[in-house]
Amino acid sequence: MGLVEDEAAQAIHQFYAALDQLLRGFGSHAMSEIWDHGSEVTTSHPFGDWARGWGEVSASWEETHAVFALYKGHAARSDSVGKIDGLHVLVVGDMALATSVYKGTMYMSEGPLRLNVNCTNVARRIDGRWKIIHHHTDQAPPEWNAAIGAMVQRGHS
Amino acid sequence: MPSEVGTDVAGFRTTGSPQSSLRVEVWGYWTPEIAQSFTRDAATFVPKLTSASALLIDATNLKPQAVEGQEALRVFFRTLAAASFDKAALQTDNVLTRMQLTRLLRECGLDGRVGFER
Repeated sequence: MGLVEDEAAQAIHQFYAALDQLLRGFGSHAMSEIWDHGSEVTTSHPFGDWARGWGEVSASWEETHAVFALYKGHAARSDSVGKIDGLHVLVVGDMALATSVYKGTMYMSEGPLRLNVNCTNVARRIDGRWKIIHHHTDQAPPEWNAAIGAMVQRGHS
Repeated sequence: MPSEVGTDVAGFRTTGSPQSSLRVEVWGYWTPEIAQSFTRDAATFVPKLTSASALLIDATNLKPQAVEGQEALRVFFRTLAAASFDKAALQTDNVLTRMQLTRLLRECGLDGRVGFER
């Protein structure tokens, strides 16, 4: 990758570091920092529908944080909740298109719960800084949603 | 009794009668104004529910809410927890919205009294 692709890739890695912070219950500040807060931003998570505009996008991340605040499987782990493989970044002007595969593991009381989903992220260079303006992943399989839903229902992992 | 607030994008409407069968439809991502209107309306119709009332909360097109929308739903659920009704059901298609509503129902002590139809 060239220098500009490296800069855009760094923003993508920051996004996934922010996601790990959020899933570990450390809040959504880092996630908010890496996003543009405009009315045109969009996101779709492994669960749920499209969120359009920063208000909806922010609410979707805050709810994700609330959901995973119930997860207590972090205490004994030193690895990250998830990582991305095969990151490919294409930069055209001030826009960067990134594709990758997100691989995450939650250690639930019933055993490990794994998630492998293709991801697309779009970043835009605004005032010299790369900001996420679009995030999209495959939908999680029904059994993953059911396990997370059950965790929310009972209030713990 | 029937009322409607908001737009095609976000809002709520109530139809039917709280004494017998009441449908509360909620949709979109609420502005603070819509959230406040919902709190006011809920304070009017929830006390009118009776032990014979059937309540349907249609959240099929509701998006996950920010602070104001969550607080309006929380106030609604807390009021509902103190009310008498025969049965109450929730419908939603959005998995993340369902998780948010599940969390709020649990926080408000309603998780055993309001079931998801889908």
